[in-house]
Amino acid sequence: MNKKKGDKGFESPRKSVVVSLYSRIGFVELTIFPTVTNLNRIKLNSKQCRIYRVRINDLEAAFIYNDPTLEVCHSESKQRNLNYFSNAYAAAVSAVDPDAGNGELCIKVPSELWKHVDELKVLKIHINFSLDQPKGGLHFVVPSVEGSMAERGAHVFSCGYQNSTRFWFPCVDSYSELCTWKLEFTVDAAMVAVSNGDLVETVYTHDMRKKTFHYMLTIPTAASNISLAIGPFEILVDPYMHEVTHFCLPQLLPLLKHTTSYLHEVFEFYEEILTCRYPYSCFKTVFIDEAYVEVAAYASMSIFSTNLLHSAMIIDETPLTRRCLAQSLAQQFFGCFISRMSWSDEWVLKGISGYIYGLWMKKTFGVNEYRHWIKEELDKIVAYELKTGGVLLHPIFGGGKEKDNPASHLHFSIKHPHTLSWEYYTMFQCKAHLVMRLIENRISMEFMLQVFNKLLSLASTASSQKFQSHMWSQMLVSTSGFLKSISNVSGKDIQPLIKQWVDQSGVVKFYGSFAFNRKRNVLELEIKQDYTSPGTQKYVGPLKVTVQELDGSFNHTLQIEENSLKHDIPCHSKSRRNKKKKIPLMNGEEVDMDLSAMDADSPLLWIRIDPDMSVLRKVEFEQADFMWQYQLRYERDVVAQQESILALEKFPTPASRLALTDILEQEQCFYRVRMAACFCLAKIANSMVSTWTGPPAMKSLFTRMFCCKTCPNIVKTNNFMSFQSYFLQKTMPVAMALLRDVHNLCPKEVLTFILDLIKYNDNRKNKFSDNYYRAEMIDALANSVTPAVSVNNEVRTLDNLNPDVRLILEEITRFLNMEKLLPSYRHTITVSCLRAIRVLQKNGHVPSDPTLFKSYAEYGHFVDIRVAALEAVVDYTKVDRSYEELQWLLNMIQTDPVPYVRHKILSMLTKNPPFTKSTESPLCNEALVDQLWKLMNSGTSHDWRLRCGAVDLYFTLFGLSRPSCLPLPELGLVLNLKEKKAVLNPTIIPEVVAGSQEFPGSQDEEEVDMDTVHDSQAFISHHLSMLERPSTPGRRAREHHHHHHHEHKKKKKKHKHKHKHKHKHDSRDKDKEPFAFSSPASGRSVRSPSLSD
Amino acid sequence: MADAASTPGASGSGTRSGSKQSTNPADNYYLARRRTLQVVVSSLLTEAGFESAEKASVETLTEMLQSYISEIGRSAKSYCEHTARTQPTLSDIVVTLVEMGFNVDTLPAYAKRSQRMVITAPPVTNQPVTPKALTAGQNRPHPPHIPSHFPEFPDPHTYIKTPTYREPVSDYQVLREKAASQRRDVERALTRFMAKTGETQSLFKDDVSTFPLIAARPFTIPYLTALLPSELEMQQMEETDSSEQDEQPDTENLALHMSTDESGAEKENTSVLQQNPSLAGTRNGEDTIIDNPYLRPVKKPKIRRKKSLS
Repeated sequence: MNKKKGDKGFESPRKSVVVSLYSRIGFVELTIFPTVTNLNRIKLNSKQCRIYRVRINDLEAAFIYNDPTLEVCHSESKQRNLNYFSNAYAAAVSAVDPDAGNGELCIKVPSELWKHVDELKVLKIHINFSLDQPKGGLHFVVPSVEGSMAERGAHVFSCGYQNSTRFWFPCVDSYSELCTWKLEFTVDAAMVAVSNGDLVETVYTHDMRKKTFHYMLTIPTAASNISLAIGPFEILVDPYMHEVTHFCLPQLLPLLKHTTSYLHEVFEFYEEILTCRYPYSCFKTVFIDEAYVEVAAYASMSIFSTNLLHSAMIIDETPLTRRCLAQSLAQQFFGCFISRMSWSDEWVLKGISGYIYGLWMKKTFGVNEYRHWIKEELDKIVAYELKTGGVLLHPIFGGGKEKDNPASHLHFSIKHPHTLSWEYYTMFQCKAHLVMRLIENRISMEFMLQVFNKLLSLASTASSQKFQSHMWSQMLVSTSGFLKSISNVSGKDIQPLIKQWVDQSGVVKFYGSFAFNRKRNVLELEIKQDYTSPGTQKYVGPLKVTVQELDGSFNHTLQIEENSLKHDIPCHSKSRRNKKKKIPLMNGEEVDMDLSAMDADSPLLWIRIDPDMSVLRKVEFEQADFMWQYQLRYERDVVAQQESILALEKFPTPASRLALTDILEQEQCFYRVRMAACFCLAKIANSMVSTWTGPPAMKSLFTRMFCCKTCPNIVKTNNFMSFQSYFLQKTMPVAMALLRDVHNLCPKEVLTFILDLIKYNDNRKNKFSDNYYRAEMIDALANSVTPAVSVNNEVRTLDNLNPDVRLILEEITRFLNMEKLLPSYRHTITVSCLRAIRVLQKNGHVPSDPTLFKSYAEYGHFVDIRVAALEAVVDYTKVDRSYEELQWLLNMIQTDPVPYVRHKILSMLTKNPPFTKSTESPLCNEALVDQLWKLMNSGTSHDWRLRCGAVDLYFTLFGLSRPSCLPLPELGLVLNLKEKKAVLNPTIIPEVVAGSQEFPGSQDEEEVDMDTVHDSQAFISHHLSMLERPSTPGRRAREHHHHHHHEHKKKKKKHKHKHKHKHKHDSRDKDKEPFAFSSPASGRSVRSPSLSD
Repeated sequence: MADAASTPGASGSGTRSGSKQSTNPADNYYLARRRTLQVVVSSLLTEAGFESAEKASVETLTEMLQSYISEIGRSAKSYCEHTARTQPTLSDIVVTLVEMGFNVDTLPAYAKRSQRMVITAPPVTNQPVTPKALTAGQNRPHPPHIPSHFPEFPDPHTYIKTPTYREPVSDYQVLREKAASQRRDVERALTRFMAKTGETQSLFKDDVSTFPLIAARPFTIPYLTALLPSELEMQQMEETDSSEQDEQPDTENLALHMSTDESGAEKENTSVLQQNPSLAGTRNGEDTIIDNPYLRPVKKPKIRRKKSLS
């Protein structure tokens, strides 16, 4: 918690790790300097490793291994509420948190060395360990084909969520514990081992069958930034930068060459803006299969998914891959080279790396793309915070009181990275870079870059120094240090901004409306805020409003205060006075407008609130439809255009239609805006269906743009040289397929049109692959499907198949079969076909059946296909309430070889749950609860992300309290041994009444409960002892009690020589006390569900 | 049955006794001839005064007679062809007989001997008919320089060609239409074939043939098929790129590829590996030599080994 250095009692300046992957045996040697005199226990992190022997200065040392995260709650516990689990899990993670001086491995310093330690002399710890079949941390990919490991393309790499290095060797697994490294890996002669730092030499073993790679990393680096990848890699030295080496799996070299040919430009960009050279002497990129995440950055190397590789023919993947490369490189500077002081400083690193990555985006893809991206990210974070109740960037845990939990609205603790839901963490990163941008708005980009440069130059000076702990700490960034250098460099006080967005969670929700006062020629703007709903906060401060008038565009800065809602803004122009003149826009451009649509009394064209997105907010603004139309046509900011498109959905009028069509046709307009306009146009057309005239929306437009002049029903042969029109060509049919006629069916004309596009698609002359285009055509077909007219649940057979659906199905069949013979890049077409088939099933045209999807979900298919198929199975599970499929999915979560797929199933189940806590379902039963509980309690101890995913799912399905489908909690049944009968505990009845859920019939409940209360005498006595408690203890009293215990525990920790086992034992004893709920892991009482509701 | 064949009285029953006929016309024909020869031999034996003969000897004599007659025929055919004829004449036979050492002059007297037996003509059996080739059109007569006895020309359909000319379709719409439907037909036929010959999946329980989906088969290395462009695409890429791409990067690509291939193959002997850096050096211009640790040769183990592995 605090003073981690003091707690740990040592610092480790050097570390060398030797791993022979052949025998999976390794040893670690740590050199440490004691910082306190009475150090007699050293705690390290280690998971999965079998430790054989520990020596300190060549003396055998005793050690104890205890990992409380293996099983969070003890198996005999019948607790099933998530509050209890989350607290226990947070406690377990704390108990091994290296930042708090804890660890799974506790080494006793031999008494002979105590004197040595008291003189604060150096200790060398030597640990021998082996790694057998690791389930996490290191991922092995071994294709089951003939041949040697190298021929099969077998490889292994390290992976994990946050600090996960402890999974493969014992270390102080913290981002704040820096040391220099010497790494040696002995591998098969046909393999290459890629790791951090410089490859010093490669030496054969004596039998010449193996090689040892010697790596040296002289820049102090945290263990958590250490990584490894071994495989029969093809090696490519970057032709522009010879110290950069790229690695990929066999046969992919041409793709690697194309993919990485761009990287040097990213290097140049970052080095230029940061005015700082890349800190490491070399850089390695490794592309591997079955990646844990698409991009993982480690010291001087990045591990990427092999699926990012692409050839020159692929359009859509290129920007995505480049973004991944740029992202990883930004993290090399901030994240790897500069590490963090503690978990609560994580936002600074993620923020800076995300921010400079944004700058790269702006330079590479242009301002439009950048602003679009910022808007997208802003929308994401706003939606997430409003949904879940807030993301806190800089949590402060004062006083250790857990009840002060700043994130009590969440079902997990945010105190540790390892307890964090993955979705929360992605949103956290998103918010971090948006806040950095806010800081930039406040202090200017120039100062911002100066701050980064300062951080980097301090760090690089420190890194070249010999071990001095205070020097090396310059390489760690902390929130306070960062803020200090901001105020030093800029001289500005950004404390209010930090307080608002960093120390506090929530976003701002504005509602705006206006009235124009003609007499005073004043715009009366009313801005309300909602700061009471979850995830919101009150905003006080400046707010920019831009008003476009007839005479030009004017910025006004309003001061948002506590009670003032109305703001009067004087207008500059009189209405209608200068009818003929051109109208000046914000960017100085002057345009002619047709002003006939305007309100004759008002000079206002449109109004924008916070146009620069300098508040993390959501704005709902009311203005007339013609104002939105003007905004769409003439405002040059893409964000404004998108906002107006969104608003126009509510105004289905011919004028809106015209504005959208004009935008669609305008080639200077940003392509994403045009794409958004397509979908809006489809919606408007559907709302106007009874009055719509002419051909279906967009059809004539598409014909004009993409079809042959002489035969308008035939599309031109593909030529995707212009990417803007390529994206538009892809999107328009997808949007058109959403059109519906008066019967709410897709017009026949549209379907024929799409089928013709598919039929006449001709890519022979094209320089680029059309796989994404064809995939979107299938998406379009799927979009055209409407629910089948069903007559009394008749069975779906071929005979009663709708003729249109028959045509669609024919195309899908052909596409899907052709994919087997001529597979497309990343199997985009298969993915679209699977989705389309699910749509047909869901709409009742084809019998609902998961068999096909299950076969595509098997291991051995390309990961995109698997995910698409699994998504369909998840959906089937929900719609058909299939217990069998749910079990199949759960089984896959536990057994699938690919960690990403397991994670993905959990997150898909969470997003599209078979049932939720507020709905009833036959699927919800005790066995399922137990199964999921087991999964998160002990089944996923090797993968933090997976465990948190299981927690998310449990939360979605059952909520925080005890699942309603369970029989009443064990306490509900009181065994009266004397009278030999069971009665319901009166204390739990209120809960049942309070919860709106049905509780199981009392008959079976009694039976079941008798089963669970197996005849353990101890258990019964435990129950009896529960009886002795006051029957309705107040919440306050219990909390107090809890705290008491907690502090008690803490005190013990301070003693720090407390034996772990003893501690545990201690807690067992506590269990027998009348007030039983104070095992170190438990946070809440047994009966807390009644309170948490 | 054949044991009674020695008696002359059995001659009449020759055809009937062949109970094993009924196989096929060619066999029948052959058997009948053989039987006639047997009758001839038997009658000659009777003429010579034998009352009975063993089956084996009759068979042997038949065989000899047959060979003799065959030889006459073969030889006569040769003579006739020698003189560029297709039909043998009497003189051919005579020459043949002379050649075979037979006194031709004795033949008329022998033929007119008094005690000779007259055997009935062999029963008429259908000569196997070779199916007549279908005639198409009129066979061309020989041109004057070819003698008339030469074989006739084959049927005209075997050599006559009729060149056809059609207006090339230039209408864009028709062309596109045609290209599209052709491709679609090929694709459909191909996928249907694949579906018919392999395992399939179906969307409908009651019907497996209308929309047959080729069954999903997992790959051992799924990313290869997913990422690498197909051969078709490669070809296309070459076609479309050839004009734009200059030679420089291409050759570089090739050289790089080669060098890494070698290191990827990881030959046991170090000499191959040692070539790599030098190769890299020459390739990337003479002035800069790439010094990348991954291209350096692997060192031989030192004699004094570090205590690395436990």
